Amino acid sequence: MACGKREHPVTASAIPVDDSKPVDGGTLLRRLDVDISTLNPIVATSRYDRFIANYLFTPLIYLDKDLQPIPGLAKSWEISDDGKVYTFELNEKATFSDGTPVRASDVVFTLAKIMDPKSEAVQIAGSFDLLDLATTRAVGDSTVEVHFREPLASQLLHFNDVLVLPEHVYAKGDFRNDFSFTPVGSGPYKFVRHDTGKEVVVQRRTDYWAERPHIETVIFKVINDHAVAFNALKRGEIDESLVTSDTWLRDRNDPELTRTIDFKRFYTLNYNYVAWNTRHPILGDKRVRRALAMCVPTESIIRDLYHGTARAMSGPFTPDEWAYNPAVPVIRFDPVEAKRILTSIGWLDRDGDGVLEKDGRPLQFDLMIFTGSVTAKQLSQMLQAEMKKIGVNVNVVMLEGAMAIQRLLAGNFEAAYLGMDLDADPDPYNIFHSSQVPPHGQNFSWYASPQTDALIEQSRREMSFSRRKELYQQIHQALADDQPFTWIVQVSAKWGINRRVRGVEVSRGLGLFLWYPGEFGWWIAEPPRSGARP
Amino acid sequence: MTVYLARRIVYAFLTFLGITIATFTLIHSVPGDPITFYIGHAGSKTIAPKVLAQIRHEFHLDEPLPVQYWYWLRGAATLDFGRSITDRRPVRTVIAEKLPNTFALNFLALFIAAAIGIPIGLWSAARSGRPAERASAVGFFLLYSLPSFWVALLLMELFAVRLEVLPLFGMKSDAYPDFTTMQQLGDRLRHLVLPVATLTYAQLAIFARFSKSALTEVIRQDFITAARAKGAGGAAVLWHHALRNALLPLITLLGLTIPYLVSGSVIVESIFEWDGIGLLYLDAILARDYPIVMGLTVVTALVTLVASFIADILYVLADPRVRLGEEAR
Repeated sequence: MACGKREHPVTASAIPVDDSKPVDGGTLLRRLDVDISTLNPIVATSRYDRFIANYLFTPLIYLDKDLQPIPGLAKSWEISDDGKVYTFELNEKATFSDGTPVRASDVVFTLAKIMDPKSEAVQIAGSFDLLDLATTRAVGDSTVEVHFREPLASQLLHFNDVLVLPEHVYAKGDFRNDFSFTPVGSGPYKFVRHDTGKEVVVQRRTDYWAERPHIETVIFKVINDHAVAFNALKRGEIDESLVTSDTWLRDRNDPELTRTIDFKRFYTLNYNYVAWNTRHPILGDKRVRRALAMCVPTESIIRDLYHGTARAMSGPFTPDEWAYNPAVPVIRFDPVEAKRILTSIGWLDRDGDGVLEKDGRPLQFDLMIFTGSVTAKQLSQMLQAEMKKIGVNVNVVMLEGAMAIQRLLAGNFEAAYLGMDLDADPDPYNIFHSSQVPPHGQNFSWYASPQTDALIEQSRREMSFSRRKELYQQIHQALADDQPFTWIVQVSAKWGINRRVRGVEVSRGLGLFLWYPGEFGWWIAEPPRSGARP
Repeated sequence: MTVYLARRIVYAFLTFLGITIATFTLIHSVPGDPITFYIGHAGSKTIAPKVLAQIRHEFHLDEPLPVQYWYWLRGAATLDFGRSITDRRPVRTVIAEKLPNTFALNFLALFIAAAIGIPIGLWSAARSGRPAERASAVGFFLLYSLPSFWVALLLMELFAVRLEVLPLFGMKSDAYPDFTTMQQLGDRLRHLVLPVATLTYAQLAIFARFSKSALTEVIRQDFITAARAKGAGGAAVLWHHALRNALLPLITLLGLTIPYLVSGSVIVESIFEWDGIGLLYLDAILARDYPIVMGLTVVTALVTLVASFIADILYVLADPRVRLGEEAR
């Protein structure tokens, strides 16, 4: 990779910078893996839509570095004792980019749009399922009372998704389709243009009502391919990009690259797991699932597959979440013990074909994985090899995305290797409550335990943080015991950031973006290299 | 002639209808629909069933397949192909936006491949079996077998990353709007070099080998031997007698390649961030964005039918033996 003749028009020492003091101005060049589909934040369907909406709109509340709620458009809020009424006091200085003030009625309008099925607010509507629109109202210009039919402990954080729209703009016309690329919001930046398939440009508002961020212009460049993005990062054509494990392993210590690129690695809210179909005649037995979990060679997966950039999981919560129970151990890789458990419950190789049987049925199952992921394939082969050693036959079945999801939703699978993205609030209701089997929710394991159901129901109604935390620790233990999922690893995100960008911090769970200040705390210490637009 | 044309047009229309029915049935019978992704990718978020039902209803996904097709056909008759399920823009707008990009890229690539490949093929036919020809055949074979994603990344590494003489990706520079017209043209061309090169090298081999084998086949025939026996010189035989006959398979090849002009290339488009039809097609199929898939099917089917129509007419011009209508039967 090193090339001696390469010139660096701007080096770290070219312009003297006082690192401790942020400077205003400059253009940040961000990467967009996939082009946006809409800038109407209520109907947004992808995280990329949200990345840009975050610059243009303000949520009622922001999340801080530790995922705690802090003021956004609302400067303060109160929750009634019964947990059903949220009263938000808006920042009276707040204005939209067209100069009009943000009013309480705009918040009510936005909530009504979220609730209207015609808006097709796929990402948000579900979180406000319990909202009572009839009694939700604006009290004067800057107070909003939001009523819910039932209390929900996780509700507050969902107001982070309520990016408030000006009613006088969004009330006219076809809400779903007319406002995709004409956003008007109260965020620190205003929309400049969207060049389909190429870039999105936003610019800092001169009339912003709260603390102005440092960077003047942000250009999001659409680059699908990771290899191309890394080249663009090297050339200074973008300032930040996700880097793949392979690139990270190969280049993170290259002295020439690290002169201009800062490599960062951090954990976000997700994990990889095997979902067991608990209605399956064999996999329905939690002792079998536990024995199979003991065949997961976690250490060598972390070492060989992820080059040490992943960590073991013990249950449904990641170590960064407050709900995490540190007392629950990671299941140890122990095929001998696994075999002993299986033998003790009657799984024996009676016919000597190398596969265990019970009641004439061999211990075998299909493990479904998605096409396109090399690591998923390698991992499934590792599991297959380990399980074969103790007499369990695993067939790896590779399926295209939508087909695989279709099978999951229909319950037409035996085991599946999947990835899970978690919300900022740890409520596991949609994944593990028995009422949430598809198509109602994402309980892909068809897991049903009255004990866990009761704990989940209780925890999501519990408004006291310390009692809620206790309940989650019990849930963590219960799910680890029952193994509806076998948690494999949590893989860290790897990022490359041009060193001319300063003030970059990592949140506990959200990574670099979408928390406060997050990307708004960044500043630029040097102009981009010649060639890129200033 | 009129009867022939009328019949051709009726056949073309029926074929077109058949293609749309087949594609419609196929894409709808692949497991999964646009809604599955919203649930599959929801993670721990709550999904509102009401919203999913609304999306199904809006795109008629809650109706029987023949009814859905009827809705589509009714729209298509008025050139209304509906909206993309993914980004809700009208299908026509989305395709009209990307079609010129793919067309420009593939037209240049095809033109260059044909302009270089066909003469080389003819030269190979004339020099068939000689060491230089053998070597070129091996060379072309190697070229043809190089995977294009690899070549693309290699070209990129060399010309864009190391030498920094060509742009890394995209269709135009950031400063494009500030350029003069000449600079804009130059900028467009510079961005075209690497993707065109990636597309050309394999097609070059196809054109060269195809025209070589077409000509070789003609040369083997008796009338060439007769012409030679008559005393005509090598070049004259090739030029006057063989080439015109070898044009027929070349016309077929051209008819077959014209649809490439609008079908795009997934690999080249994704590596060079070329905002074209190939990527759109792939994304639409993976996301089960039925309206987009159908819109693209219409475009490709139309171009294919028109191309085969033109190829037929060129046949007539190139070969007086081919006659139209009943009398030829």
